Amino acid sequence: MAVMTQEQTPAVGSAAPDRGKGTVVLRGVTKRFEGTTAVDHVDLTVPGGSYVVLLGPSGCGKTTLLRMLGGHATIDEGEFLLDGVRTNDIPPARRDISTVFQHYGLFPHKSVRDNVEFGLKMRGLPRDARRRRADDALEFLDLTPMADRRPSQLSGGQQQRVALARALVTEPTVLLLDEPLGDLDRLLQLRMRVELRALQRRLRITFIHVTHNQEEALAIADQIVVMQDGRIQQVGRPRDVYRRPANLFTSGFMGDNNVVAGQVSAIDDGHVRVEGDGLTLLARHDATGVAVGQNLHASVRASCVSAEPAIGSGDTTSPERPNQVTATLIFLEYLGDIVKLHCRLPNGQAIVAKRAETDRTWDSLVEGEPVRLEWKTEDVQLLLA
Amino acid sequence: MSSSSSPEAVATARPARPASESRLRLAAGSAWALLLAFPLAWLLAFLIIPVVVVLVVSFFEPTLSGFNRVFTLENYLLLAESDAFIRTLGNTILNALITTVVTFLLGFWVAYYLALVVPDLRRKFALFIIALAPFFTSFLIRAIAWIPMMGREGLLNTALLNLGITSQPLDFLLFSDFAVRVAMIQLYLLFMVSPIFFSLSAIDPAILEAARDSGAGWWAILREILLPLARPGIVIGAVFVFVLSMGEFATVRLIGGGKTSSVGLGIQNFVTYIQFPQAAAAASVLVLVTVAGVVVLFRYGRVAEGL
Repeated sequence: MAVMTQEQTPAVGSAAPDRGKGTVVLRGVTKRFEGTTAVDHVDLTVPGGSYVVLLGPSGCGKTTLLRMLGGHATIDEGEFLLDGVRTNDIPPARRDISTVFQHYGLFPHKSVRDNVEFGLKMRGLPRDARRRRADDALEFLDLTPMADRRPSQLSGGQQQRVALARALVTEPTVLLLDEPLGDLDRLLQLRMRVELRALQRRLRITFIHVTHNQEEALAIADQIVVMQDGRIQQVGRPRDVYRRPANLFTSGFMGDNNVVAGQVSAIDDGHVRVEGDGLTLLARHDATGVAVGQNLHASVRASCVSAEPAIGSGDTTSPERPNQVTATLIFLEYLGDIVKLHCRLPNGQAIVAKRAETDRTWDSLVEGEPVRLEWKTEDVQLLLA
Repeated sequence: MSSSSSPEAVATARPARPASESRLRLAAGSAWALLLAFPLAWLLAFLIIPVVVVLVVSFFEPTLSGFNRVFTLENYLLLAESDAFIRTLGNTILNALITTVVTFLLGFWVAYYLALVVPDLRRKFALFIIALAPFFTSFLIRAIAWIPMMGREGLLNTALLNLGITSQPLDFLLFSDFAVRVAMIQLYLLFMVSPIFFSLSAIDPAILEAARDSGAGWWAILREILLPLARPGIVIGAVFVFVLSMGEFATVRLIGGGKTSSVGLGIQNFVTYIQFPQAAAAASVLVLVTVAGVVVLFRYGRVAEGL
């Protein structure tokens, strides 16, 4: 289904991916638990040296998929190739893959250094060699002063770095991260996600990161894989997934999209006209498989909706002027950087507009007064799936 | 101090006021006192006073039917010079150590199975309750139950004879040190299993997964992760079993059948012959040795250190 074909480096960051190492290919990978299918025929290609985020709500199968990659859950069906080698049945320790577990799973009775050394000890490295490599890893992650402490004596952010050091010391080509920022407070989350990203750039290995936080995914990923019900819903660069949600689920999950259920009333001049929920929307006709009379959903991102005071209170929607509507401003939510305008059509349909704080057109808006909402044709997304 | 005296209350204070305030303070204080009093009284009545009495009596001069309140070290000197007592003490310590070690070697795997192999919580506790089932009966019955098992014409000997493994009944199966040890191990096994079970259950599964991810096999996980993390449970289990088996006398009497002895049994004999100071001295020695053993266990086990 959704195969990631993108080969060129995304615009963010400068380093070219170390292609060929840490390339993960999944073909029809499936996992079943007593009656339910947790992961359902997933096809995915992760280019070596890229940062991929599996994004979805809890129970969508993203963690199960990660556990299968790490070798902590068996693959019921399908094939997992790591750099071209079938890896389905290779035990975790013999894969060039390490995992940073949710809540880290640090050994509470061992010092930070012993935690980091553990993987090398298990690989039978002599004491001196593993001590040196562990110390390098600690140095790399700024943990040298904490080497002799126990995990319980560290802050959440430090514990996370220990988990990273422990996973990286064995020099994997793929690092799996299960909700790595989930245990941190918000400020630390913001800082650590930048650090994770920088770390991946420095190491040039594949990071596969699981989260339910769309903002985190957008900020970090080269490629986002949106999952729901064990299936991949969409794969793409953050900006593509954000701008062009492929279906109703992605549109809803990526946040602040106005979704309208409607029917195609006309197709002409490369435009699709959709009527529904008291609105007329005009979208570009760039998707195949749209026919007149078809029921579908259309979405408009809140930040694509502009708002200005309505002059007089004329009729709300006129078929002559699609992508425009007069609504009542219910609540003006001032959030600092942005201002969220919660509006309602006479038929009760809610529409949210998001304006930048610096865009002072919202300044003259008054709660309870009519407001003119408008958006561009290219900002209307048709959701076919 | 009382926090109920708001400025307003102070301003309207009447002669009756100090009385009610002190009553309040008294009520709060006595609630605490009551809460603490019960356990304190319990400890005092059933632990501290008896131990002090025993200690005091152990220094009194024995008579034919009791003691004179005259200080003497004679009781301890007699014990020290008695080969029988020294042998009995040694045997008691040996039995307690064997029981502790064997219950650990057996109990760890029971706890391991319950905590880490059985997948769901309900089945875990069902099995735990089943393991607990023998404790629904009196421990005397559990001890006596060994007699038809291990006796000359007991189940085990009959089976061995019928299978042709032995040509005549094995005598050491009952009324021997061996029999006493087997019975004690059976009696106390669960005191070892429970704390280890709870220690192992508290281990975050992610820790084991992380160990496996780092390449640890079964043996490495046992040595590097499970045993160190179960240590507090192991030490507490060992303290339970060691203390209980040091004080044993009923099992020794029933299963040992007079062929073996323990300090506990010896004390009982002293009491039977109204040799209270001797009994008290033997009891004091037993308490001392037991406490020493517990101290060693806690030291070595570094329980206070926690993880």
